[in-house]
Amino acid sequence: MIATLAFYLFAGILLVSAAMVVSARNPVHAVLFLILSFFNAAALFLLAGAEFLAMILVIVYVGAVAVLFLFVVMMLDINFTQLREGFQRYLPVGATIGVVLLAELVIVFGGWRIAPGSDAHRFAPIDVAVENTRQIGNILYTDYILLFQASGLILLVAMIGAIVLTLRDRKTSLHQVVSKQVARMPADTLVMVDVIRGAGVPADHYLRPKVAPVAAPEAAHDSHGHGGHH
Amino acid sequence: MNWISALPELVLACAGMAILVFGVLAPKNAFRLASMFTIAAFLITAMLVMGGTTSLGYSGLFSSDAFSQFVKLLILAAATLGVIVSLDYSEHENMQRFEFPVLILLSTVGMMLMASAANLMSLYLGVELMSLSIYVLAAFARDNLRSAEAGLKYFVLGALASGLLLYGISLVYGFSGSMNFADLSAELTSASQASTGVTIGVVFIVAGLAFKVSAVPFHMWTPDVYEGAPTPVTAFMGTAPKVAAMALLVRLLSGPFAHLLAQWQQLIVLVAIASMLLGSLAAIGQKNIKRLMAYSSIGHMGYALVGLAAGTPLGVKGVLIYLVTYVFMNVGTFACILAMRRRGRAVEGIADLAGLAKTDLGMALWLAIFMFSMAGIPPFSGFWGKLFIFQAAVTQGMWVLAVIGVLTSVIGAYYYIRIIKVMFFDDAAEAFDARPASLSFVAVAGGLFTTGFFLFAAPVEAAALAAAKVIFG
Amino acid sequence: MLYALAVFAPLVGSLIALLFGRQIGDRAAQTVTIAGMVLASICGVSSFVDLIYSGVPAGVISLGTWVEAGSFHVEWALRYDALSAVMVAMVTCVATLIHIYSAGYMAHDNTIWKFFSYLSLFTFAMLMLVTADNLLQLFFGWEGVGLASYLLIGYYYDRPSAGAAAMKAFIVNRVGDLGFALGIALLFMVFGTISFDGIFAAVSQHQNDSYHLFGTDFRALEVIGVLLFIGAMGKSAQLGLHVWLPDAMEGPTPVSALIHAATMVTAGVFLMARMSPLMEYAPYALGFVCFMGASTALFAATIGCVQNDIKRVIAYSTCSQLGYMFIAAGVGAYQASVFHLLTHAFFKALLFLSAGSVIHAMSEEQDIRKMGGIWKKIPLTYTVMFIGSLALGGVYPFAGYYSKDAILEAAYAAHTGVGAYGFWCGLIAAGLTAFYSWRLLILTFHGAPRADQHTMDHVHESPWVMTVPLILLAVGAVLAGVMFHEQLLGEHWEHFWGESIKLNPANKVLEHMEHVPGWVRLAPSVIGLAGIALAYIIYMGMPALPARVAAAFGPLYRFLLNKWYFDELYNAIIVRPLFCLARGLWQVGDATIIDGVPNSVASLTGASSGQVVKLQTGSIANYAFAMLIGVVALVSIFLIFLR
Repeated sequence: MIATLAFYLFAGILLVSAAMVVSARNPVHAVLFLILSFFNAAALFLLAGAEFLAMILVIVYVGAVAVLFLFVVMMLDINFTQLREGFQRYLPVGATIGVVLLAELVIVFGGWRIAPGSDAHRFAPIDVAVENTRQIGNILYTDYILLFQASGLILLVAMIGAIVLTLRDRKTSLHQVVSKQVARMPADTLVMVDVIRGAGVPADHYLRPKVAPVAAPEAAHDSHGHGGHH
Repeated sequence: MNWISALPELVLACAGMAILVFGVLAPKNAFRLASMFTIAAFLITAMLVMGGTTSLGYSGLFSSDAFSQFVKLLILAAATLGVIVSLDYSEHENMQRFEFPVLILLSTVGMMLMASAANLMSLYLGVELMSLSIYVLAAFARDNLRSAEAGLKYFVLGALASGLLLYGISLVYGFSGSMNFADLSAELTSASQASTGVTIGVVFIVAGLAFKVSAVPFHMWTPDVYEGAPTPVTAFMGTAPKVAAMALLVRLLSGPFAHLLAQWQQLIVLVAIASMLLGSLAAIGQKNIKRLMAYSSIGHMGYALVGLAAGTPLGVKGVLIYLVTYVFMNVGTFACILAMRRRGRAVEGIADLAGLAKTDLGMALWLAIFMFSMAGIPPFSGFWGKLFIFQAAVTQGMWVLAVIGVLTSVIGAYYYIRIIKVMFFDDAAEAFDARPASLSFVAVAGGLFTTGFFLFAAPVEAAALAAAKVIFG
Repeated sequence: MLYALAVFAPLVGSLIALLFGRQIGDRAAQTVTIAGMVLASICGVSSFVDLIYSGVPAGVISLGTWVEAGSFHVEWALRYDALSAVMVAMVTCVATLIHIYSAGYMAHDNTIWKFFSYLSLFTFAMLMLVTADNLLQLFFGWEGVGLASYLLIGYYYDRPSAGAAAMKAFIVNRVGDLGFALGIALLFMVFGTISFDGIFAAVSQHQNDSYHLFGTDFRALEVIGVLLFIGAMGKSAQLGLHVWLPDAMEGPTPVSALIHAATMVTAGVFLMARMSPLMEYAPYALGFVCFMGASTALFAATIGCVQNDIKRVIAYSTCSQLGYMFIAAGVGAYQASVFHLLTHAFFKALLFLSAGSVIHAMSEEQDIRKMGGIWKKIPLTYTVMFIGSLALGGVYPFAGYYSKDAILEAAYAAHTGVGAYGFWCGLIAAGLTAFYSWRLLILTFHGAPRADQHTMDHVHESPWVMTVPLILLAVGAVLAGVMFHEQLLGEHWEHFWGESIKLNPANKVLEHMEHVPGWVRLAPSVIGLAGIALAYIIYMGMPALPARVAAAFGPLYRFLLNKWYFDELYNAIIVRPLFCLARGLWQVGDATIIDGVPNSVASLTGASSGQVVKLQTGSIANYAFAMLIGVVALVSIFLIFLR
């Protein structure tokens, strides 16, 4: 009884907060609502006996993803009025589509009927003797090893993508190579220059940096674009 | 443990990671070497695929059979050619980073997973692995605004499509209780067995996959992304992923959902008609050849869907042959497009091809062959692909579909042949730069395949039919 | 093997000359084609000799399958029997001589390689025609001949008249070809095969088949016979479809010789002889053949009497002689028909080539009213032309005597109405033939010179490359009749012809020929000599008479001079209405409807293309909405219509 009540409570809050994520005016509020909905989803997992999933959800989504979102939202200067405009412009179409889709889904769910014998197909029948984490681990590394590894590959791609698209080792950025710096001798870089006496220079000669054959400045990156705009 | 059934994928994935490590550790730019290694990995994988056996592995998640072998070989061929055409371009456009071939490789792993998917989950992961790599590839020329925009667009819309796909999967799972193809097939033995929820789920899944094959109305991204993405990426995007997604559609609809034919057939027919119409109509006014190829690929996927709509082994055979011919003529065309380079700058206007026959007759001839083939003019391979497709549709009494297909081919022929007209009869523009050998190789390979297809059509046809029969059990 | 060589050597020569002519030069191209022809004629004659005298069995040389479509099976094959072999031997010999002659005649042409290539192609097509083992291959050769004749008649393509003549020949032949093609189709329908052996073996089974046409049942064989003859009429220039032949004079003279003697026009006669086993069972069709042949013989002879162009006179004589051949075929004497074809080939080639020699001598003058008095200057040409005229006029013992007499006897011996018609028409035509031959001869060579002094000074005998073929042909014109008369028509004709000509057992024409009354044998010679005498008296004795006669019978003269007004008639009832119709179809049908519909469809397509492209705004939100709308639409369609 209490479990049922709790379920409806958490489910209700989950739905409301999810709706708020979309409709909140302030993006920071939206992210906060997102965190709230994550918590409620975690609670629902707990009610279903999936404590491992619940904790993972909190740790990963609330602890990492949502906070990251928060940072992004706060750091980026987003023009909210402009976003609003778009929202209002698309509202009629969007609302129509949403309503139609909703109506259709209602029709669909009206005919809900779990296929006979579908229980037998369930991959993870609950076995109370084995704890949750072990159960997940068991199937994750046996039956679902392929999917697990494939997910790993997807994450690898995401990582490569992030690096490829953002990391820049510019020729202009300065890196310090300590060993080089320590091994540096004055003769490597300084040269003795003779000067004409009485020409306004105080000493006979002085040390000045070698005039290295200055590398021609990198040609401007004008060949970057592949010229699609002509 | 029958992990061996996924041996090609395992080898390819490991090779990919090894190349990644090599690329990071290599003292200087390892783009060219990494590309070579990638090609080698593809070839080895292709051999492993050919030596593969029929088996169902990984607790029914992964199936290796004649169909998946056929599709995988095609995907590997397309990916190999894709890497080859990128060699020269990347160096010209300052994108010679070793991650490029690695991403193509990983995306190929995803496609192979799709081809072998025997479970909605492996299907989804395959699709994501493929797509994510391609999103990155589309934005690979990150300093180019258009490339970045293409990548972003593709990513956002792709995420939406993934959402649709996932939603469909969850509906199917919820209403039938299984994600395994074999179980689904056993569960849904008749239309009356399937609740509305399952079929709506199928509609959503079809929508998600239709996005990947850029079928109307899920095609909107195609022209923009094709145009914006670096051309070798476009070449790759236009071939291998299309094959994989189409194969997945075929396997899904003709496999577990075969008994729901009456339900999904009309949807596929509608999508096919819309794609054929839009593909042929919208391409007419295009001035950018990459955009034109985008519409062309929309149209081609429409034709391939006609074969799927037939819902018979004959139709699936048609689809497979169509894909084979499509891959080679498409990659050949892109090799020609990549060779369009004037004083070091890539150009991509149709007008830039003016009078090509006078300055570079070889390239003009090959491109003309590809255009004729795409227009479906015999004896080139494109004609045979269309022939098998329409044959299958007519055998099933789908006259309207076949007639619309033929009519749109006629409209399509107009813009294909216009390119030939521009190349052969317009006043010559300035000559292009010398073609690199890699592009010539791909153009000639594609051209020979397209021209000589009718000579060796029989074994391809037999293999396609064998593959198609596997799907129908 | 020899036989195949005879057929394909001209093709090889032609291809080499055509493809490499520009590179290897005129002289080499000429040499190659002539060498090919000489080889072909050696092979052709020796395979003919092998077959007839050395007892090599007849047969079929198979070259491979051509068409394989259901029950429709066609082979590339060369038929080797007496009819084909004799035709091959004749065609290759005459064509070789014409090739050699052309080397002299065309010496000043600009594109000699092209000319020789066409000539050899022409010969090859004719050889293909006569060696065909089935009707489709025959049709291939038939059309090849048509094409080559088009190319050659229009060889001087910068002359509008040559272009028009070439088109006329091609189009008129199309009319006949339509009949031929329909005949082949009907044959296939009735017999289920188009190979000769298959057809001939099954003739007796199908002789009572009927074919429903225009609400009446006809015997299928009769319909086939008539249709095939319509094809033959086109190629062999029989009355009604003869109009192209005189105009074909626009081509160079050797081409005229080739068309009139060896190739092209004889195709129709050959077809009748080849299909003799079938025609034998179509008596009404044969009657029609005989009737048309007789009418043509007489009709063309009347025109020949008043024409003034040297080549035109000879052209009408060809027309008339072909009529004779059809008279023979029509009464069932195919042997006589082919015999006349052979002899005619020699003397007609001879006449044309000597006419060419005259024209050459007269600085390209073709009007006989502007000739005369040159026989002493070009004695050789005069002699051979005299021989040719004797042969054409049917004077003993020249070639024409034997064959023409045989035809007239056969016509008489047929003892049928059309046979009698053929006999009398042929007899009158024989007199006219002799008359116009001598008229031609006298006007051209005798009397006072009517050409201007300048031309007369330049009159000269032709070079040896032209005269040697003339002499050889003259020998043929003298001897061909004597040599082959007994073999082809005598009691043992079956020994010569073998299986190639099969007669209805009821057909006893050849036997009856032996028993015709004596006056029938004598009549042609008498009439012929009378014609010669008349011409001699009129044109040698009273040169002023013809003009007075022409004036006295003005309408008749003009009627004949204008060739019975056939061209005008066709112009009025066919060409002009067709032009009107074509113009109407062009302006209304083509420009308005056929062009209009696709053009509007195209602009509609273009417009819709513009609309479709407008959807592509570039905005992600729009795209996403499009996708969602798509999903919702698909789901709705599914829920509403397909549940």
